[in-house]
Amino acid sequence: MNQCPLPGWRRHDLSVTFDKTIYNEIPYKFEAGTPNIADTIGLGAAIDYIETIGIDRISTYESELYLYAEETILPIDEVTLIGCAEKKGSVFSFKLKDIHPHDVGTIMDMEGIAIRTGHMCTQPVMKHFGVPALSRISIGLYNTKADIDRAAEGIKKVLEVFA
Amino acid sequence: MNEELKEIYQEVILDHNKSPRNFRKIDPSTHTSEGLNPLCGDHVFIYLDVQEGVIVDISFEGNGCAISKSSASIMTAELKGKTVEQAEQIFTRFHDMVTGKLTDEEEIEKLGKLSVFQGVRDFPVRVKCASLAWHTMHAALHSETEVTTE
Repeated sequence: MNQCPLPGWRRHDLSVTFDKTIYNEIPYKFEAGTPNIADTIGLGAAIDYIETIGIDRISTYESELYLYAEETILPIDEVTLIGCAEKKGSVFSFKLKDIHPHDVGTIMDMEGIAIRTGHMCTQPVMKHFGVPALSRISIGLYNTKADIDRAAEGIKKVLEVFA
Repeated sequence: MNEELKEIYQEVILDHNKSPRNFRKIDPSTHTSEGLNPLCGDHVFIYLDVQEGVIVDISFEGNGCAISKSSASIMTAELKGKTVEQAEQIFTRFHDMVTGKLTDEEEIEKLGKLSVFQGVRDFPVRVKCASLAWHTMHAALHSETEVTTE
């Protein structure tokens, strides 16, 4: 097989002259250039971070916050929760009357609340639920109950604008 | 409401979003085009009836956010009765306004009702919502059947 390797940093060739080149064995002959060191070290740091806190504790905390979001946001009449699978992650996807999610997103953004809006790259799911797009509050371990309260206020603000 | 928000969601815009004008199909039409923003799902059809270089009738169908819907609605209201040439000139000026290239207040005022969209320039991600219907109208006049703003 005449697979031409890329030039680079790793020892992908063992000997190079004008007459003959001897390539190193696979996989080295294909590993040219500087490997993605920064991302590898970054991933290690991210794993360390999560292990320091404990993935179970993170999961418990996020679930609690999610339940708090249901308690706080669901009482708003105009909100329809989409996605009710058991043991789902701590994401709160919702429809707000017939207000387009991009309008919801812009207004909440102005209130300092970042949410995800759009078809979530899952157009068939949007079609299933009969919506062009959705708004989603994605809860992470860095969020607090106060953030959820603000999100609820933000949603009320949207309703005020589109009253 | 804060000032920037007031600028983008003006009464006129909210009104056209709630009750869009010329929201229907023209059949038969002389020009038509479909506009799609695949990133956000805004989807618009523009229909035109052009007779001797004059836009006798113009309408739209589709769905999208308040900005895109009201922009299509106001566009149809403003372009009816204009010549194709005038429509193209207004499109260029409108586009310059929402992208922030046109800042001269007097020039913006000349755009009349369309000037309500000047606040959009402060929201870069919403510029495409405001301009989708216009790009689609432009494409229809140039007999392009499909346009995307990605």
